[in-house]
Amino acid sequence: MLESLVHVCLAGLAQGMFVWLVASGLTLIFGVLRVLNFAHGSFYMLGAYFCYTLLSALGDNFWAGLLLGPLFVCAIGFVIERFFLRYVYHFELPYQLLLTFAFVLIFDDVVKVLWGAGSLGSPRVPGLAGSVPILGRNFPTYSLFIMVAGPLLALVLWLVLEKTWAGRIIRAASSDREMASAIGVRVPALYTAVFVFGTWLGALGGGLAVPYVGLLTPGMGETIIIEAFVVVVIGGLGSLKGAFLGALVIGLLSSFGTRFIPTFDMFLTFILMAVVLVWRPQGFFGEAS
Amino acid sequence: MAKKQITRRDFVKAGLLTAAAAGLGPGVLKPTGLWAAEPKIKGPVKVGYQAIMSGTLAGYGEFHRMGAVMAADEINASGGIGGAKLEVEFRDSTLKAPEALKNARYFVDSWEADFLAGIDSSGQALALAPVMAQLDKPLMVTHAATEKLTEQEVYKNGIKQIFRICTPTYQDGNAAAFVAKDLPAKKWATISPKYEYGYTCWQMFKDTLTKLKPDAEFVAESWAPFGTTDFRPHINTILDAKPDGLYSVEWAGELIAMIKQCSEAGLFKSIKHVMLPVGAAMDVLEGLGDAMPDGLWMSGRYFFMYPDSPKNTEWVKAFHKRWNHYPAYVSETGYSTMYAFKKAVEASGSKDSKAVIQALEGMELDSPAGKRIFRKEDHQAMYTVPWGLTASDPKYPFKIMGKMVIITPEQCFNRPPFEGAECTPPFKS
Repeated sequence: MLESLVHVCLAGLAQGMFVWLVASGLTLIFGVLRVLNFAHGSFYMLGAYFCYTLLSALGDNFWAGLLLGPLFVCAIGFVIERFFLRYVYHFELPYQLLLTFAFVLIFDDVVKVLWGAGSLGSPRVPGLAGSVPILGRNFPTYSLFIMVAGPLLALVLWLVLEKTWAGRIIRAASSDREMASAIGVRVPALYTAVFVFGTWLGALGGGLAVPYVGLLTPGMGETIIIEAFVVVVIGGLGSLKGAFLGALVIGLLSSFGTRFIPTFDMFLTFILMAVVLVWRPQGFFGEAS
Repeated sequence: MAKKQITRRDFVKAGLLTAAAAGLGPGVLKPTGLWAAEPKIKGPVKVGYQAIMSGTLAGYGEFHRMGAVMAADEINASGGIGGAKLEVEFRDSTLKAPEALKNARYFVDSWEADFLAGIDSSGQALALAPVMAQLDKPLMVTHAATEKLTEQEVYKNGIKQIFRICTPTYQDGNAAAFVAKDLPAKKWATISPKYEYGYTCWQMFKDTLTKLKPDAEFVAESWAPFGTTDFRPHINTILDAKPDGLYSVEWAGELIAMIKQCSEAGLFKSIKHVMLPVGAAMDVLEGLGDAMPDGLWMSGRYFFMYPDSPKNTEWVKAFHKRWNHYPAYVSETGYSTMYAFKKAVEASGSKDSKAVIQALEGMELDSPAGKRIFRKEDHQAMYTVPWGLTASDPKYPFKIMGKMVIITPEQCFNRPPFEGAECTPPFKS
């Protein structure tokens, strides 16, 4: 029983950290730009495909792929923000949703054209391919790696936002755009930078997903984006702390739900979301408006 | 009375003609091809084909298309269907029932399709059934497997427009039980899709295996919702139950992810007997490559190495030459669908729904998968698909079927009238 509980717990933590990697960029972009970016799932998918292609081209070097792949997606993110999104900031929210959703459809088809409609298998990551026995049952080494990478990313983000000059500017612009602009912050450039950084986070999540999920398929972003949205809503739109906590809660809930109340496991996360929305509409750490 | 008398002269003429015909042999005077059917079939024969072409399962749509396009090109290059050109149009079914209905209506009402084909999801197939009765055009189902379609909708509700060319859930549930009964495994568990298809197959497997091997036990079931990417919680459920065998009708990308994650968790070390009723799909085998372990049982709706017939060998070769892929099972069912329509239209001399349905009922079709017979009562194609153990072969960059076991459709397909125990296997005769 203990063995089982520990493993259910570990699986939940890994799942939570995996969703956190993707949700971080989503909530960051919302926090600063106030854009709900549907295309974040596409960045995740493109990140996975670019990492995959580069790692194959570089002789199955996973780390080189992970380093370079997301940069390609950043370039795409830059074009989207600079030449499309910028023109709809002053429209109502539905316009931004429609625009980013259009990119979801476009990128799904682009992936089909470039990489084929079928699924691609992922190579193993040297050093992280096997599993380690924990209480007599094997646990994937790569999942442990994700469980370390998640909090590490959270720490880096926290340091950047709280302790650096750039972080202070970002926080200033996100709390009051006009005031920041008045004291000389170049808000449009800042928006571009934050969007590209958020894109990088999504693409990095995709690159890390390749060995975690085990395959790449066109449309793979659509599954993860829903989970990421739930996490972001529960945690509070725009709150990184909230997204981190939300991801942990969702991961554990889904793992324990699947194991112990399998009939209702699909409902659990959404029930939690509904309860949070009723009881605390702004989420765990969101600002009440 | 203007009734014409048969004169002695006519009689002699007829006799001479008969003698001449007999002398020339049956090949010459039998009306064939162009010459026979041309006056009856006007305009092109149009087939509206829908399959999943977007999202994570888009690869399936591609494989459907490869098969159907290849058949259409071959048919048109050799004179079409009774002299008429065969036209095939494809639409994305998106796996959602409303979209399937919309596509079907578009095909029939706007595009003027004579026949419909395709359909991947059982939910779509069942939703489409009453609509097909209204639209009154034959639909050949090439992938959706629920037995309710043929047992309920065709046999009991009399929706004669629907036919199915692929093996139904009997292959996944009943045939699997026939293979499982001979394995040294008593306790079984499943990770399967959390929808109709998953529930039905597991139930059928349990029922039939219980009859064949009364001491079989079923110790755990874990249902994975559509779109699951993380199977680790499900794997924990199975490992906790400590079964001897794992049965799973996960398919496509989800099966790939599940197998990889099972390997990581060491599941195949503790559970020796694994049955994957739809594991012998090319997307799964190619997607997994070396990562597919040896010694797992798998089957499908067709496997390109069976049967070992000249027709199949040639077809696989031609398919590989054209598409640089081995044919997936939906490629074979899509391909054979076009030939089924061709044969039925030419036999009835018309593309009229009623005549074609009549021709299809009980029709024999020689196809790459072997001889198919469309059972008259429920319109289900009867043909054999092997079960086999995964094995490596240096000739292929993926795992193939090593040892094969043949369970015939006569042994494992439910029988009309689909009521009571004597309609489900095992049968006495």
